[in-house]
Amino acid sequence: MKKIIGYIIGAAVLLLVGCYSNNCPLENTVTCNYGFYDAEGTAITYQDTITVTTLMPGYKTVYTYRKLGNLTVTKDYSDTALINQGYTESVSQQRKDTILLNNLYGASSMKVPMSYFHEMDTLVVAYRSITRKDTIKIQHSSYANVELPECGTYRFHTLQNIWSTDAAIDHIEISDSKVNYDGEINVKIFFNGVATE
Amino acid sequence: MRHIICVALMMSTSVLATMAQEQQTQPLMPGEKPKPTKYVAVEEQKEHLVFFQGFTLSVDGYGPVAMMVSDYGTLEGALRLNLKNTFFPIIEAGVGKCSKDDFNTKVSYKTRAPFGRIGIDFNMLKDKFQSNRLYLGARYGISIFQYDIADPAQTDPIWGGSKPFSMKSIDCTSHWAELVFGVEVKIFRNFHMGWAVRYKREIASTKSDFAKPNCIPGYGYTTNSTCWGGTYSLIFDLNWGMKKSHKRGVNMEIRDIPQKEEPAQAEDDSQTIIETENGTEEEQPEE
Repeated sequence: MKKIIGYIIGAAVLLLVGCYSNNCPLENTVTCNYGFYDAEGTAITYQDTITVTTLMPGYKTVYTYRKLGNLTVTKDYSDTALINQGYTESVSQQRKDTILLNNLYGASSMKVPMSYFHEMDTLVVAYRSITRKDTIKIQHSSYANVELPECGTYRFHTLQNIWSTDAAIDHIEISDSKVNYDGEINVKIFFNGVATE
Repeated sequence: MRHIICVALMMSTSVLATMAQEQQTQPLMPGEKPKPTKYVAVEEQKEHLVFFQGFTLSVDGYGPVAMMVSDYGTLEGALRLNLKNTFFPIIEAGVGKCSKDDFNTKVSYKTRAPFGRIGIDFNMLKDKFQSNRLYLGARYGISIFQYDIADPAQTDPIWGGSKPFSMKSIDCTSHWAELVFGVEVKIFRNFHMGWAVRYKREIASTKSDFAKPNCIPGYGYTTNSTCWGGTYSLIFDLNWGMKKSHKRGVNMEIRDIPQKEEPAQAEDDSQTIIETENGTEEEQPEE
């Protein structure tokens, strides 16, 4: 009898454990997926290190230090130690920015978040192998989406237009305008050159 | 009306029995042969239930309590047919209400709408004559409703900024299926009480760009694709159109006693053999 009661309690616990689950999406930010292709449209693994920053609303004060024969140093604050070392300081106002992807290497795609309340996002893509940077501009609309109240509100986006410069990018196009949890490639980046086997 | 018919039947039966007895007790005229005695052959003693056993009206007592103490509850009732105390086609209807404010995310969800279910229960007890029932059933449910969802402040984690979000009257139609297991017992006369557990599976819901319905009236929360529910029913048997006699269907046939050559000794004994319903024979002396 005790054995039967034990089995029943065990089954009930398993049932309860099985019933409890949190169905919230694993990632708490909806990201736009960029796929990498060569100029002819073949999917590639891009063999360079990419850093993506985005421009933020507002401006910031930038302190730039230069000294002949030394690398230029840029800081967000005034550094008296560098001045004492002989660096010359120049102050300027620049758009605020933040790093979205840092040193991505050997990737065939990248996931970049989008702004909730701005119509246009500006991404600056820096490469390690070339000094020039690419700028990608994405025009989009956004709308709220609630999967479950306990998961909070997410933001889905609809891509409307996209532009890019041509430092390393041949051209760019929208492949799936709906940015959500589906994980499809939303934007195709076609880099210069053709992949060789 | 049924009582009157029963009384009339009983009276007619007793009158016929008295007439038959009188007929038996009449003295034979000279040269007259005794008439064969009638008997009733009950070919099937087993009782049969009439097909239609009436209606059942029930209200759920669990839903209103849940509505008072939790975010979700229902007010619902059901009308059920009783077919041979075995099959119970059922229609359920009610109003479901959900008002939820998540403590952590501050997202609120509200809906209040009618729903309906249709299905059948099967009484699994072997003895169909008793008033208690143990049943297994299935339902198809549907609700056409609107829901509101709101977030007081949606904040962009990277670019910054915060805006409220509110969507009202999002149209949705949901379908679901249920498996029901329950018991009910007779409390007093036509009043029964019973509980049931329900395993529910969402079949389909209208998709919206803005939100998924978090709670469907009559179904419950859609956190998973399946959910459990329950009812505690107060049940009233309404015997409209029900035939009360369980004897209906018993095949009774009146036949003549087959003529057989009786031994002379029997004539001398002047006794009539009457076969009774239970099959035993008893001797009745001639008066």
